[in-house]
Amino acid sequence: MAIRTIREIGDPVLTKVCKEVTEMTPRLRTLIDDMLETMYEAEGAGLAAPQVGILKRIVVIDAGDGPHVLVNPRIVETSGEQTGNEGCLSVPGKTGVVTRPDYVKAVALNEDMQPYELEGTQLLARAICHELEHLDGKLYVDRVEGKLMDVRDVYGDDEEDEDE
Amino acid sequence: MTKGINIRELILGILLEIQQNDRQYAHILLRDVLEKYQYLDQQERAFIKRVTEGTIENRILLDYIIDQFSKTKTAKMKPVILCILRMSVYQLFFMDSVPASAVCNEAVKLAEKKHFHNLKGFVNGVLRNIERSKAQIQYPDAKEQPKQYLSVTYSMPEWIVEKWMTEYGFDMTEKMLQSFLQSSRTTIRCNQSRVSPAELEQQLEQEHVKVTRLLYPEGAYEISGYDHLGALQSFRQGLFQVQDVSSMLIGEIAGVKPESHVIDVCAAPGGKAICIADQLQGTGHVAARDLSENKTQFIKDNIERCQLHNIEAVVQDALVHDEASIEKADILIADLPCSGLGVIGRKSDIKYHLSEQQLGELAALQREILGTVQDYVKPGGILIYSTCTVNQEENVDNLMWFVNHYAYQLDSIDSYLPEELHSETTRQGYLQLLPGEHDTDGFFMARLIRNK
Repeated sequence: MAIRTIREIGDPVLTKVCKEVTEMTPRLRTLIDDMLETMYEAEGAGLAAPQVGILKRIVVIDAGDGPHVLVNPRIVETSGEQTGNEGCLSVPGKTGVVTRPDYVKAVALNEDMQPYELEGTQLLARAICHELEHLDGKLYVDRVEGKLMDVRDVYGDDEEDEDE
Repeated sequence: MTKGINIRELILGILLEIQQNDRQYAHILLRDVLEKYQYLDQQERAFIKRVTEGTIENRILLDYIIDQFSKTKTAKMKPVILCILRMSVYQLFFMDSVPASAVCNEAVKLAEKKHFHNLKGFVNGVLRNIERSKAQIQYPDAKEQPKQYLSVTYSMPEWIVEKWMTEYGFDMTEKMLQSFLQSSRTTIRCNQSRVSPAELEQQLEQEHVKVTRLLYPEGAYEISGYDHLGALQSFRQGLFQVQDVSSMLIGEIAGVKPESHVIDVCAAPGGKAICIADQLQGTGHVAARDLSENKTQFIKDNIERCQLHNIEAVVQDALVHDEASIEKADILIADLPCSGLGVIGRKSDIKYHLSEQQLGELAALQREILGTVQDYVKPGGILIYSTCTVNQEENVDNLMWFVNHYAYQLDSIDSYLPEELHSETTRQGYLQLLPGEHDTDGFFMARLIRNK
């Protein structure tokens, strides 16, 4: 397993539409493992393959309820609405308010190419929407209501090191 | 996507700020955080409020528990670790809805996030040990160690417990301490110069607020079931004022007559002054004074919201004698800075900040202010003295000192109060409200008439 480099906004790879996965290969398995590791290392809640430069329809998500791997995911149902701050590992240090559905149901394949359903509310619903848009070359910054802000201004400085 | 904000980290932030800076008030920090993170859903906001307030309120009990299980005593712990343990133990003991494993895991994650990687094991060990042995903890015995028992059970510093046991006895002290820990209700007073109580009741119900009419005074209600006040149109329009019943009673015993000239010498945030301006029904004049620009701004905001025109907020130090005010007031309100021991139910951190010496200093300050402002009252006019404390030095002792030193007489307040509050002291002219005995904050009020 390895940590991959997260591509940042401005990189054209983030604007491309990704291709369906037709077959699980050892290379793609490694990719999935690396994506999970990269996401955890960056303290993210989700990561899409184009964010590490691979144009495949694969995302990983962990909104606090354990990892989900979604291959060729599709949203089949949404309801409700939530408005809140969102951020992206490809847009470091920024955050903005985005309105998303409060409930999302997606269908996808797992890492063994078995179909399953993933339902989520709140943060998980938000993460599913956010990551799936990466697969179509879209970033949340185009959806932000009002201004894109610095995380520092919104959440305050993160704790300085504690030494006593 | 990046992670959302960690609400436990927000709670820790507030607790740390209070732990490290004595001057910070918990209710203000909490209000600021809830205002800043308005987009959090109601459940998350409720969690933040509950854990923050509960941890502060029960600090002595939580430390007592932690000390039974940790080799490093709470007095010596690093503030970050201490605050994480306190908020976690609070959840273990008081919140059944949070599974113990989640409490421990989140605590460990938080310790790591705050760069205490090496203390993860310690945090985990102490918490899991406490969870396992919860039922076997030995607490001080009520009969054998009454002072320690009350102090630990109700998280009240021992010196305050001792003082109250002397002033009010063990049983009344326990009753007061119990009532402080019960969740405080929100009571409001209808601004009757703007809207009738019946109309207000109707509008609040339309805004899906649960409204319960209180026994006294007229126009007083308890409200619940709303998200935050600012979201209510009736609040923004100034149709009501949030005020404890004890404070509303000041408006009652003042016996306001139309065209009166009223001075409130320590008015911020303005509840009592606004209550009186409201009773004047647009006539007369209320000067709502306070020490700083900051405090008077609070009053100004409230006046503006309530759309009252017979009241103004003025920056004026109550300790500086104002020649221009001599014999100008029909009614003088002296609701003076005090130890706040009556409102611990709402501002639970007060109890940890106070010292015995401060109580003496406050009583002296109150005397100094009373001496400075007493001649603002017209001969035959009214002076109302009040505090939000249950400390006798500041209340009845000061009152007796005042009538012995100045040309004032106590005046019965029975005719202004509902019958259930009548007593020997109200007949004389003063009332000590005790939480646990009365359904209000702890509060003291007295009505005095200046000799002609």
